[in-house]
Amino acid sequence: MSELRPITALGAAPPRLASFGALEIRENAGLALASLALRRGTVEATPFGLTLPGPGRWVAGQGVAALWAGLDQWMIEAEGRAEEDFAAELKQVAPSCSVTEQTDGWVDFEIASSAGSRPVEALLSKLVNVDLADFGPGRATRTGLEHMSCFVIRRSDAHIAVLGARSSAGSLWHALETAAKRLEER
Amino acid sequence: MLIPHPLLGLRDAQEFTYLGDARLIERPDPSAPDAEAAFCDYVFLRDNPAGVHRELWFHEQGDRSWLVVTRDTVTHEVLSAELARGVALTRKRSGI
Amino acid sequence: MTRLAGGLIDRSQSLNFTFDGKRYSGHAGDTLASALLANNVRLVGRSFKYHRPRGVLSAGSEEPNALVELRTGARQEPNTRATTVELFVGLEARSQNRWPSLGFDALAINDLLSPFFTAGFYYKTFMWPKGFWEKVYEPAIRKAAGLGRLSMQADPDSYDKGFLHCDLLVIGGGAAGLAAALTAARSGARVILADEDFRLGGRLLCETETLDGAPATEWVSALEREFDSLPNIRVMPRTTVFGVYDHGIYGAVERVSDHLPEPGDRVRQTLWRITAKRAVLAAGATERPIAFADNDRPGIMLAGAMRAYVNRWAACPADAVAIFTNNDDGHRTARDLAAKGVHVAAVIDARPEATALAGYRVITGGMVTGSRGRLGLKSIEVHGNGRSEWIDCGALGVSGGWNPNVHLASHHRGRPIWNDAVQAFLPGDDGPSGLIPAGAAAGHFSTAKTLRSGAAAALRALNELGIAAALPSLPRSEESRYGVAPIFYVPGRKRAWVDFQNDVTVKDIKLAHAENMRAVEQLKRYTTLGMATDQGKTATVTGLAVMAELTERSIPETGTTIFRPPYTPVALSVLGAGDMGPHFRPRRLTPTHHWAAAQGAVFIEVGQWMRAQYFPRPGETHWRQSVDREARAVRSAVGLCDVTTLGKVDVQGADAGEFLNRLYSNVMATLKVGRVRYGLMLREDGFAYDDGTCARLADEHYVVTTTTANAGLVYRNMEFARQCLWPDLDVQIISTTDAWAQIAVAGAKSRALLARIVDGFDLSNEAFPFMACAELTVCGGLRARLFRISFSGELAYEVAVPARYGHTLMERLMEAGAGLGATPYGTEALGMLRIEKGHAAGPELNGQTTAAMVGLGSMVSQKKDSVGAVMSRREGLAGDRRRLVGLRPVDPAGKVVSGSHLFAEDAPQRLDTDQGWIASACYSPHVGSMIGLGFLENGDERLGEVIVAANPVEGESARLRVVSAHFIDPEGARLRE
Repeated sequence: MSELRPITALGAAPPRLASFGALEIRENAGLALASLALRRGTVEATPFGLTLPGPGRWVAGQGVAALWAGLDQWMIEAEGRAEEDFAAELKQVAPSCSVTEQTDGWVDFEIASSAGSRPVEALLSKLVNVDLADFGPGRATRTGLEHMSCFVIRRSDAHIAVLGARSSAGSLWHALETAAKRLEER
Repeated sequence: MLIPHPLLGLRDAQEFTYLGDARLIERPDPSAPDAEAAFCDYVFLRDNPAGVHRELWFHEQGDRSWLVVTRDTVTHEVLSAELARGVALTRKRSGI
Repeated sequence: MTRLAGGLIDRSQSLNFTFDGKRYSGHAGDTLASALLANNVRLVGRSFKYHRPRGVLSAGSEEPNALVELRTGARQEPNTRATTVELFVGLEARSQNRWPSLGFDALAINDLLSPFFTAGFYYKTFMWPKGFWEKVYEPAIRKAAGLGRLSMQADPDSYDKGFLHCDLLVIGGGAAGLAAALTAARSGARVILADEDFRLGGRLLCETETLDGAPATEWVSALEREFDSLPNIRVMPRTTVFGVYDHGIYGAVERVSDHLPEPGDRVRQTLWRITAKRAVLAAGATERPIAFADNDRPGIMLAGAMRAYVNRWAACPADAVAIFTNNDDGHRTARDLAAKGVHVAAVIDARPEATALAGYRVITGGMVTGSRGRLGLKSIEVHGNGRSEWIDCGALGVSGGWNPNVHLASHHRGRPIWNDAVQAFLPGDDGPSGLIPAGAAAGHFSTAKTLRSGAAAALRALNELGIAAALPSLPRSEESRYGVAPIFYVPGRKRAWVDFQNDVTVKDIKLAHAENMRAVEQLKRYTTLGMATDQGKTATVTGLAVMAELTERSIPETGTTIFRPPYTPVALSVLGAGDMGPHFRPRRLTPTHHWAAAQGAVFIEVGQWMRAQYFPRPGETHWRQSVDREARAVRSAVGLCDVTTLGKVDVQGADAGEFLNRLYSNVMATLKVGRVRYGLMLREDGFAYDDGTCARLADEHYVVTTTTANAGLVYRNMEFARQCLWPDLDVQIISTTDAWAQIAVAGAKSRALLARIVDGFDLSNEAFPFMACAELTVCGGLRARLFRISFSGELAYEVAVPARYGHTLMERLMEAGAGLGATPYGTEALGMLRIEKGHAAGPELNGQTTAAMVGLGSMVSQKKDSVGAVMSRREGLAGDRRRLVGLRPVDPAGKVVSGSHLFAEDAPQRLDTDQGWIASACYSPHVGSMIGLGFLENGDERLGEVIVAANPVEGESARLRVVSAHFIDPEGARLRE
């Protein structure tokens, strides 16, 4: 381990956490990310036993998860492993794929509701142009959020994640916080 | 507008960047004897019909795929959308 | 206070408000208009052009007259329709367009001068003298005309936006909309019901007729309860669907807190983008007046509006009231007024036969031919049965028939179709696809028909979507007669108003006709008919009818005007949807941003990025002091600069090298692993557009950099090349810009500094020469990438670590470099250093320069194809002999100004003698004077020559000497030390 200490995307040592009514927004600094892309002619990979999901979908396995990012391309998530060289581990289990480290390219905000799916869906309808009828658990999409390109993942009924570019973490937090506060005020 | 993404279904046009005439896929052969003239056409001459048009749209806020969208520019009706990659591959394979 | 019995107001809640400073009281459920009428206030404004006294005309969003200034201070809002303003406690409203007071308005002189202000007045009068329009006429007209005043303060409120999706959007919550929503909601379809009013029911709230024998409000309440219990319907009151966009996208504004004294913590309005598979247009109908002489006096209003004020708001318009109608609906107003005990002086029915609905006097075949009462109606002149008489009344309800609200149906240029039976335009079948008109908007004018039509429209929509639905049982209701006659105006010599808001009269239309402005489009623009903020909702059909009669054509032959979004005015603030101030767009911060801020850095916006521009130190009073110090530190010791903002793209695959060969003008496939190459990209038209570096980390793995400004564009073009041009290549790309914090370590002591942080890595020139790259660890095991590249001309490196470590890496470098003179530098010094080195950047790669012009002609490989290669060889580009040169003032104190154009000494300064321009300029601490980089005709052959740089914008010119663009170390020895 290096003697250097990391800071979070929002610029502090501890990750940020805030609650707005039933919604809790948590900056998750522990999520490791790596992209995986199929090379020409390779058969589909099953890294860490994951069946890579189809367009618009997300699947979770043992400590790892995958979401579809583009044609023949996925983002692989590994909870709590941001300090490891997760891309190297992924490359080992998927040697025939192109793997790129993405952990620090993103900020991950985990948003959970203590009052079921309604607050989460109300929040989403203020942020992204996604048809919620087709965005149940296991769905993930990349779309614009306040002019930022973000991945939105429906981890469960009452739990979503928003992944945005690390450099715009502050603007993304502001957008999420503003929308969540306004729901609370209603 | 809504673009019927071949992989992701209907997506709002706000997620896309527009380029124009899908003939931009048909880059001329740089080694042909008349390459310069062909490139002049390719770079500077575009069709811009009032009616059905094949256009390139980039899903910039989404999955980063380039699409060939067939659209009526008068009514904005979208007749189809295909992955540009597929269109380009078919073209290569048919040896055009 | 004149309140009648009944009504849908809450008498237990009294709300005090002021109008023009005078205190009044209304009730919860009132609009400002109903409260004013209930307080006997009839005069509420002055007209736009003639400053005529005006009162409330309508009871809805079509109102052309009753425009007021609402609220005070920063929240002051002009041109608010009193008929749609929900009364709240403490409301302050003021009349507009009058001075010194509403009762006495000095500019009412315009009314006496009206013969001069007729149609086309502006076009005829202000043509001459030529220069007068901008300086004299327009300011004078703007002062005299115009309506309310802006607050001239920043908007203190917040706005919001959101996205909704549904199967069926129902636009309008009247009888048809409710029947449609009910049908769809019970089917399980996802439904949105949007209504502009604060209470559901539409016209049902304004009528006395019963549904299933009970007041209509009972049916509405039962529906509201049912909707509340269903998860699949969202009811949105106070929400106006203002526009129809392509493919079922609708724009709507929800007035979240306009009905409150202040929004508090809430947003004021929300802009909704609704994506609906189908929509039912149940927007109702708007009554139109009949034009007659002096028909604009306060107290003259639409008969349906009068009925609404009496029934819904229990507001009595006057003690004695008359009705002027050409249809049966006018009689319903008379009946309801009489039932409430209001004296109905007469119903003047323009038709030869009519049946009274109650015991009031009917004058059949009658016309109202004049009126009296300067600030409020006193009497009307009636002509009928061959004689004229004056009838005393304080209010006159006028009904010239109802126009279906077809607006949204014509937002895609759909043409409404004239229907003789209802004497109105109905939505055509060329409206937006998926939008089904129903109810009064489709020309059904009885409650029974309206209910059936709404339900049928919903059924049709659901059927098209494959959703099974059943017709709900609809309440028994009235099948009223309408019987409208085609009477639009009363002929006469005096002025009869057609468009109240823009003061357009029958006479103006006649004048337009006489001057051959007969096409609808000409009529509209010549007279300004329908061009006010109400888009002529109460006026356009009447205007057309008058023109039709003058030209002896039918109305459909005369034409129609279609409507554009927005249906009613929408505030720009809500269209901006809260993107204001620092949150106007996303902000990107570098990994060392907080560190730089703590050092007191001054930041500059570079696209979305915030970058440190320079780091002032105590005692430095001018930015140049800081920047010169930073640049000197790089030249003499070592400087540190965050360069994370440069775009980074990871390129992998068996064909990665070949792919890059085709993107860059120079060869990349031959690059050895562990080496970096400078790369130039051309556009397909042959001009240079971006540059960067290309590092080969492994056989099939490159990392390329782009300029900060073009990062997005280059990535898009790379995807285009990968997917559209060469889909057969095996190559995968992904952006890693944000993933790595990259810090430039530049200067003679950069190696010494880096040696203090790398983990046993050999930095010697032999092991790690200029243009080498490596993956290594630093600071005790942190993964890093090191590139030996230089932008400044000095020995330099760029070190990259995972972004989360950028902040502490910078701290560590500063600590480790303390004894070496390590100095942070910003974009200003960065720019200065690269100009001194003659390194082309954005100002040189401006899209109009070629590789040869920037001195990189040899980088366009002739051996291979790449984007832009063929076109770069065309004569026009290859023949351009302008070359990048360095420029120094002959007088060392002289200025070098970028943007200046270059001329030979003693040559005239004209376009045809222009020899180039200065792209970049700065003060160079190294040279000791200002320096510049410019493009000069045959510049590479003119070193030593003195030329003139002309800066006509500032009236300056300077003599400059042409020198090498490399002001420092032209041999490049320092880089390779």
